[in-house]
Amino acid sequence: MWAYIFRKLLYNVPVYFGALLLVFLALRVQDPVYAYLGPEATGEEVERLRQDMGLDKPVVVQFGVYLSNVLTFDFDIPSWNQKGYTVGEILSRSWIPSLSITVPQIALSTVIGVLIALLSAYFRGRFIDRFLVIAAVIGMSISFLVFIVFGQFFLAALPQEEGWEFAPFAVQGYEHWIGVGGEEGWFLRPSVWAHYCLLPVLIGVVVSMGYDTRFYRAVMVEETGRDYITTATAKGATKPKIMFVHMLKNAMIPVVTRVMSTLPFVVVGSILLEMYFSIPGMGREIITAINARDFPVIQYFVAVFALIFIISVILTDVLYAVFDPRVRLS
Amino acid sequence: MIRRFLKGRAARKLRRNKLAIASMAVISVYVFVALLGFVGVISQASTQERVLPDKTPGWLESKPVDDRAADAIWLADRIGARVERAREETDPEAVRRLLDEVSMAERSIIDAPFEEIEALYATVQAELDEMYEVFDEKDLAVDDIISSQLRIQRYRERDAERFADRIAEAEQTIAEAQARVPDLSVAAESELDDVEAALESLMPTPDGLRGAVYTLRTCLGSDNQGRSIMMKALFSVRIAFQIGFVVAIACVILGTALGAAGAFFAGWVDYGVMYLVSVLSSVPSLVLLAVIVYIFFGSPIFDNPAERPGLALVPVYAAMGLTFWVGTCRVIRGEVMKIKGLEYVQAATSIGFGRVYTLVKHVVPNTAHLMFINFALLFIGAIKSEVILSFLGLGVKGQPSWGRMISQGKDDVIIGFFWEVGAASVFMFGLVLAFNILTDALQDAFDPRHVD
Repeated sequence: MWAYIFRKLLYNVPVYFGALLLVFLALRVQDPVYAYLGPEATGEEVERLRQDMGLDKPVVVQFGVYLSNVLTFDFDIPSWNQKGYTVGEILSRSWIPSLSITVPQIALSTVIGVLIALLSAYFRGRFIDRFLVIAAVIGMSISFLVFIVFGQFFLAALPQEEGWEFAPFAVQGYEHWIGVGGEEGWFLRPSVWAHYCLLPVLIGVVVSMGYDTRFYRAVMVEETGRDYITTATAKGATKPKIMFVHMLKNAMIPVVTRVMSTLPFVVVGSILLEMYFSIPGMGREIITAINARDFPVIQYFVAVFALIFIISVILTDVLYAVFDPRVRLS
Repeated sequence: MIRRFLKGRAARKLRRNKLAIASMAVISVYVFVALLGFVGVISQASTQERVLPDKTPGWLESKPVDDRAADAIWLADRIGARVERAREETDPEAVRRLLDEVSMAERSIIDAPFEEIEALYATVQAELDEMYEVFDEKDLAVDDIISSQLRIQRYRERDAERFADRIAEAEQTIAEAQARVPDLSVAAESELDDVEAALESLMPTPDGLRGAVYTLRTCLGSDNQGRSIMMKALFSVRIAFQIGFVVAIACVILGTALGAAGAFFAGWVDYGVMYLVSVLSSVPSLVLLAVIVYIFFGSPIFDNPAERPGLALVPVYAAMGLTFWVGTCRVIRGEVMKIKGLEYVQAATSIGFGRVYTLVKHVVPNTAHLMFINFALLFIGAIKSEVILSFLGLGVKGQPSWGRMISQGKDDVIIGFFWEVGAASVFMFGLVLAFNILTDALQDAFDPRHVD
């Protein structure tokens, strides 16, 4: 097992190196200082920024500095666009809002998706199954943005405007970590969280429902054809028991892999939801940075995202090997 | 070869699937509209010209009376400014040119001598004056009600009993005013109808063929600059197909070439391909898309939507093309791995065919069904990503697209104007749904492992 983990780690080192190099080069195709300051910049300003970022040094030296900063987690680099903040500060203030959206979203969509898939597989070929399959296809065909625009209007904006009693959701915005006792803490109070984050979470769940149920249903249907199901049926086990005890356990492997493979999404956050609901998470920060040509933030944020992605890929592989020992030998 | 394909088991299965046939019909309608866009029947200019007052709703929905009045005043002013200037002109052609500036698409000022137009305009103004009077009266009545209510409230706060008679007086005023308001509303509306009728005789809604085109332009209303939503949505079909086709073809070619080569030649080629795939998939796709678009920012050739709207799409193509081939590459690589061991490939090798020849002639054609399915998947993926990128300000620029329509119209949704977002959503939904159903049917027919 350890050998397998070690092998995976070793394989991914050059991959991460490649990702860093890719980002590093992509950001230097055009002069980042020029892109940020625009054509009206004075030579003095350009020179100052260039020296601040070390952009006047040879490319190899720049890459060395970049690499060593990323590997030592030294993000103490001032942002161009958000004056007075460093990349590290932006990172540390934005990861919690991201998590407060995506963790509940992934948990909810997995649970609901698996349950619907079980239901669908249980009634396979009957009306409920057909209905769910069609609903999933229709749900997949509607744009994420449409769900957000209409969800926000009907669930948040309209109730507030009309002054309905049931207006639990904020149209947009976020409050920074207020602890349970009122003092600064790590997590939002549940009611505050629900006010700002529940609606985006629900929209995210509804959007992913189509994809999730289709995947899980395929898993379940494939599982119903296995020998152990026949055995269980022959022994006289009831259908619900076969479904929820035998099948669910065995279907856990693909479910866990899928959840793990959506883990990167947890940290990057649903960029779109964050943008639309003004939630100051990591996804919002990077898109704002790209639109403002904030070079240091883009460069280091992408490096962090890639690192998170790769770690979660390794974790997925390892977890897969834990569930299915055959994988280790391949 | 095509005939053999059409007689094959999979094609028969596909043809029996009624939903798939229906979705193909829907897609061909979209293709037709896209072709109209390419040919220029639906031109970009037609998406930019004014056809209606701002934010006019489409079919079966009309604006509230106050907004209609504002629109009538706006149109009368628009005509009035030109008529004033036309009075100074002596040349009839110059007069006509000035009057044509008022035109909104097919709807223009009647072709008549200037004196007649001036007379008609005078009628419009007379009607407008009458309308103002009634509206003012109505406003006064409403003001009366509000100020009396305020007065009653103030009296009650000070001393309800001492001011009892004054309160009664104010209540009397309210009752009187309230009795007048319904009549005045009716009168205001009929005055407004008169104004609109006068405007209509000055600037008639076209009939016949031109009328049909005008109806088509206005049937979904107008956006916040008075541009036709229908035209924007129809033109966006072309943009969607352009993006979908370029991205899907680029990705299928790139993915198949690299995936097949990697699997077939194994060794270093395969390591190289898989390394590239791993590197690209270790950056979140939306972030990768954004970074590639960043490369093109500020470029005078590729980021110049005002002068070169066509080339402004290149960043979008590049971003999606370089990002989305990864999935296709994995699928094709897996399939080629499987095909590589089959007898006919061994037979080809033993006859003495070259490796490249065998790969191109015998292996790759057998992944055609996967290429086809991936093409459809990528096509939808590209269209959906366009919407998201455009919303984030990184997508289409300078031309209408569904994504831009949604992001422009989203602020109007808050005030209850759904037409722009709705039109873009429905058009996109139709296309994506048809493609989803078709892809499912294709997978059913061609991929024996696909679970139904």
